[in-house]
Amino acid sequence: MPDASLLQLEEVSRIYGDEVQVHALDRVSMSIEAGEFVSIVGPSGSGKSTMLGLLGLLDLPSLGTMWVTGKSVRDLSDYERSRLRGDVVGFIFQQFHLIPHLDARKNVETALLYRNLTPGERKRRAMEALDIVGLAPRSDHRPVQLSGGEQQRVAIARAIVTEPKLLLADEPTGALDSTNAANVMEIFQELHSPLRAIAIVTHDPAVAATAQRRISMKDGRIVADEILTPTQPAAGYGGTLGTDGQGTLEAVETEADS
Amino acid sequence: MRSVLDLIGVAISGLTSRVSRTLLIMLGPIIGVSAIVAAVGLTESAKGDLQADLAELGTNLITAEAAGSFGTQNPVFPEDVVDRIEALGGVQKSTATLSLTGIITAPYEAAATYYTAFPTPVLSADSNFLEVMEIELKSGRWLNEFDYRTGARVAVLGIDIANEYSYLAGENVTIQLNGLDYAVIGVYENVKLVTNFNTAVLIPPLAADNDFDVGLEANTVYVRADPARVNEVRDALPVAINLGGNDEVNTSVPSDALEASAKADSTLQVIVATMGILALVVGGVGIANVMSISVIQRSAEIGIRRALGHGRGLIAWQFLLEAVAVGFFGGLGGLAVGVGIVVYFSRLRDWTHVLDPILVIGDYEFPSHFLGVPTIYVLGMSAALITSVIAGLYPSVKAARLEPLETLRLG
Repeated sequence: MPDASLLQLEEVSRIYGDEVQVHALDRVSMSIEAGEFVSIVGPSGSGKSTMLGLLGLLDLPSLGTMWVTGKSVRDLSDYERSRLRGDVVGFIFQQFHLIPHLDARKNVETALLYRNLTPGERKRRAMEALDIVGLAPRSDHRPVQLSGGEQQRVAIARAIVTEPKLLLADEPTGALDSTNAANVMEIFQELHSPLRAIAIVTHDPAVAATAQRRISMKDGRIVADEILTPTQPAAGYGGTLGTDGQGTLEAVETEADS
Repeated sequence: MRSVLDLIGVAISGLTSRVSRTLLIMLGPIIGVSAIVAAVGLTESAKGDLQADLAELGTNLITAEAAGSFGTQNPVFPEDVVDRIEALGGVQKSTATLSLTGIITAPYEAAATYYTAFPTPVLSADSNFLEVMEIELKSGRWLNEFDYRTGARVAVLGIDIANEYSYLAGENVTIQLNGLDYAVIGVYENVKLVTNFNTAVLIPPLAADNDFDVGLEANTVYVRADPARVNEVRDALPVAINLGGNDEVNTSVPSDALEASAKADSTLQVIVATMGILALVVGGVGIANVMSISVIQRSAEIGIRRALGHGRGLIAWQFLLEAVAVGFFGGLGGLAVGVGIVVYFSRLRDWTHVLDPILVIGDYEFPSHFLGVPTIYVLGMSAALITSVIAGLYPSVKAARLEPLETLRLG
């Protein structure tokens, strides 16, 4: 039975295809606790994207059980699962995925729709979130008028505006240059709190090294689950440079390829 | 409740962010609804004046013409025909006239040859004529007691023949009937109910008999009946006139012809309104098409909204509402355009524009208003909304079925 874990997976498999079955996840068990800072690493095809879909409640396990804040997701309707997703998870994507025809503030407000808020309240909270990522002055800019780093910060504001217990990031620095990547990772460090767990799916070791815990995956299984020594990296993101990062990476059997 | 407002806001912002596309797909409902409103409104406006005329002229005028049995030349009624008719129950007043044939009329002698080609009806008429026909004199006077008794050569003209011969009001002039000078003593106003009176020359019966040897009997009578007993009187006329004789009497109600032309207009109304509905349907297909493409183009947006916690139902509603908003605002635009067309063309044609027309489909007549709004607007808007809902169903279901994992390209 689930304990107080934020997310818990028990013997979870995700199988695609009918005749030729592909086990994208193969009997995975793990949990993420409130306030943790986790990175999930692994080569392409290791199952980390599938893991992301499950953790973000965008997908359901084929086998096994998954609990989110104590609720088994299999028992939820689409409506309830969507609600839970909106309440618990804040998404940050590699390609930012802002809605192009809305300005920055409206993009952030999109996360607050259908929550019985007045437009004024929604606006106030969106501006607060934009202020946290330092973009309040550019709230009326549309995505095309913002740089990549700025767009990602708007996306972070959108993810935190609902005060989710888990920030779920998919290669958040993958589309950014090293300066912007460092900037975004600093924001993640600042956002990390006992009330807000962060899970970053990445194959950039430098990004992974900023986390307190690193889950390494290969062929649909977890091959390593380590607690890292806290570090404060200042530069070196971006994959092509400084791939050794600055975290202590002893006892790594399966190095993530980048 | 706020969620509904949120949905409306999302739908509107989706439409306003693509203004030209939105306006394009709005054209369907605009054209459809404006065609419906304009078709019904214009035909009703055209008919409106006709019905006002009918109400003014009355639908209780009956015409009876002597037809005679086979082979009879120039059949006529008995001399006391007016007395016989007025003895009937339900008859208010009647007037007897005789149509003269073969009379050549001309404004002056030298023009007679020219005017031979344009025969003008010449009628002898009794003193009831103006009253029964409800005709006003434009100028001059009507035939008086002296004219009737002495058979004076005097004539009263219809407005069109007076204009044609260039008679000016009050001028002491003559008209030539088969070369005989008749004094023009009056001109009467336009007659709407029996339009060939407008080119007619009316003379006293005695003068007609003296000069053209046509006798004093009449061959046409006009009868005003009690409006509630028109058909009854019409049926009784032949018997009353001939007292059971064999001669035939043809009766007709001139207003029937006008009403029939109004009916013909309602057929046109149905045709044009049907074309409007067709335009709506085609417009609906356009909405469905464009929105289906839009769903594909906006699949990333749909994935984001799903990731942000919006369920499938909300996505479906969002796209359905976008379609409905197109129908709603397109419908409103169509109403405005339709009303504009009705007002504009009514002004061109000097009609009184009717903006709350009565719509008749088959035998069913819709009430003119529904909850205080002209029924045609309610029907037009409903048609636009229904087609847009149907058009929006497929794209919205398609949008709701998109898998966010596939549209967001994770990993």
